[in-house]
Amino acid sequence: VSGARVVYRVKRIPASVLLAGWTLLVLLPLYILVTASFKSTAQIYSAPLAPPTTWGLGNFVHAWKQANFNAYMLNSVLVTSLAIALTIVVCLAAAYPLSRYRLWWTAPMLLVFLVGIMIPVRLASVGIFTTMKELHLLDSHLGLVLVFAALRIPFAMLIFAGFMRAIPVELEEAARLDGAPEWRVLVNVLIPQMRPAIGVVTVFTGIAVWNDFYFPLLFTFSDEKKTLTLGLAGFVGQYNTDWGMLFAGLTMALVPLVLLYSLASGQIQRAMGAGAFR
Amino acid sequence: MQHHANLRIARRSGVARLRAAPEGLDKDQGDPPQRTRRTGRGRRHGAAVAFVLPAAAIYGTFILYPLLSSLFGSLYTWTGITRQGFSGLGNFYRLLSDPYRQGLVSAFLHNTLWFVGVLLLQTLLGLLIAWTIFRRGRRFRIFQSIFFFPALLSPVLVGALWRLILIPNGPAQDFLHRIGLIHTTITWLGDSDKALWVLIAVDAWNWIGLPILVFGAGLNGVPKEIFEAAAIDGAGSGRMLTHIAVPMLMPALSALTMLTIINSFNQFDIVYVMEGVGGDPSRSTDTLITQFYRFAFGSVGSSGLTDIGLALALGGLLFVFLAVISVATLRYFDRKVARL
Repeated sequence: VSGARVVYRVKRIPASVLLAGWTLLVLLPLYILVTASFKSTAQIYSAPLAPPTTWGLGNFVHAWKQANFNAYMLNSVLVTSLAIALTIVVCLAAAYPLSRYRLWWTAPMLLVFLVGIMIPVRLASVGIFTTMKELHLLDSHLGLVLVFAALRIPFAMLIFAGFMRAIPVELEEAARLDGAPEWRVLVNVLIPQMRPAIGVVTVFTGIAVWNDFYFPLLFTFSDEKKTLTLGLAGFVGQYNTDWGMLFAGLTMALVPLVLLYSLASGQIQRAMGAGAFR
Repeated sequence: MQHHANLRIARRSGVARLRAAPEGLDKDQGDPPQRTRRTGRGRRHGAAVAFVLPAAAIYGTFILYPLLSSLFGSLYTWTGITRQGFSGLGNFYRLLSDPYRQGLVSAFLHNTLWFVGVLLLQTLLGLLIAWTIFRRGRRFRIFQSIFFFPALLSPVLVGALWRLILIPNGPAQDFLHRIGLIHTTITWLGDSDKALWVLIAVDAWNWIGLPILVFGAGLNGVPKEIFEAAAIDGAGSGRMLTHIAVPMLMPALSALTMLTIINSFNQFDIVYVMEGVGGDPSRSTDTLITQFYRFAFGSVGSSGLTDIGLALALGGLLFVFLAVISVATLRYFDRKVARL
């Protein structure tokens, strides 16, 4: 090995330490999380970093049944999927005239929707609370779905309007000449070309709604209606002696996101890193 | 934020595009004019209204109207959640005088420290990591995926995980003892000098993948020849980073700083899960939003003890503050970008 090469290698050491160090910092907590799910509280105390001696699912069963995780999980799946569907349907419809009609009010209206991206919505939570109370939507999944859809409309509108604007008008014109009504133009001509945009909105609305904690905290009172994040927060405070079950609960909350990431990590990273910032 | 973490992503990705929107709208004016002539204006307006109505109704009912009513509501007195008479700036006056002033100032300080901490631990460290990955080439992109993974997790899950790991005599302490870094019992989450910084670090752990990803995409967009030419001129890695990469990354830095401001001043989830809604120990991790929450909805367990007037005044102040500082930040970066 020549002298220059040695110098080159030595110079790279700080950077390598940085990468290796942060990798450890990300992976070690995840390792502790998963292995502790299979241990008893005593084992976690005596050897927190050792691999589990058995791979029994006792902690998971315990969390799933006794700590109501089955209900929380189901509620989150229900609320998230309905919020995604509602957001996509209303935004596809609204983005159509707002991005493709030339009327005096369409551009300002689009801007009103897009401004929502910058609004610190939590500051409106007292107003949202009183509105929900008047509409008798407190402590209901329907109420949460409507609020989440409202929260996610600006982002979906941004993606859909931007995407629709770029679609060429020829096919649309041809359909109109054939006498198709406007809703058919949207459903048969535009929406089939919108798949990538719908994919992005589905993934991001899904992650956002699934992970939200603040609004379920405000609007949900009965235990059987809690979403997973809300259940998780209560669970950490409540069962603070049974560590094995706590870790098992967190691991279960992690599973859907690991699945999502392994299926779509490329798209998620591209959309987040490149598309969304230029 | 939030909406929260969810919102976080929306806000994070939306900022840059939002600024680009007016341009796009201008372009739209170039559409072929015969479209409107052929179908007739009346029918067009009717169809457009019908298409926009559902989204506008949901958005108006659950975001715009509540926001406006919250902002105006700050000018009234309240009993419970019922609005009483007009009181002008009375709520603001109460909020800014004893006994509330002290709490407000310290919460504001905590949010400001949060912003500075995230800027250093997340944005700056993220830049260094992104630069390292970029310099090492394609095979090192796998690190991007690893570092980004925590950004998918909700702050509640992340906070809960770290709370368990950092428990005295728990896993983190065991690890630090083994590698010989410390030999005492760690009680960071119960220590009012350290707790806030632990929470900031956890937030940075959660989100560092985003700047890494954004800077990485930005660096890959820079023509390779520029770096090659600099290398031939004898520029080292450090000089290339500060003199070429950073100026090129200004638009990304601008968007990330905006998001950091909004997120830092909306912190709630991590504090709630790790230290409770009171910002324990002894209010050392209290933020503006945990304070807002306690004013508006009472602390957990003690229901009914709310002061909506104070909550709305706090919300109004924070809203104005965020609006002003966002515009100032955008202006600052726009000038920097324009100078390039």
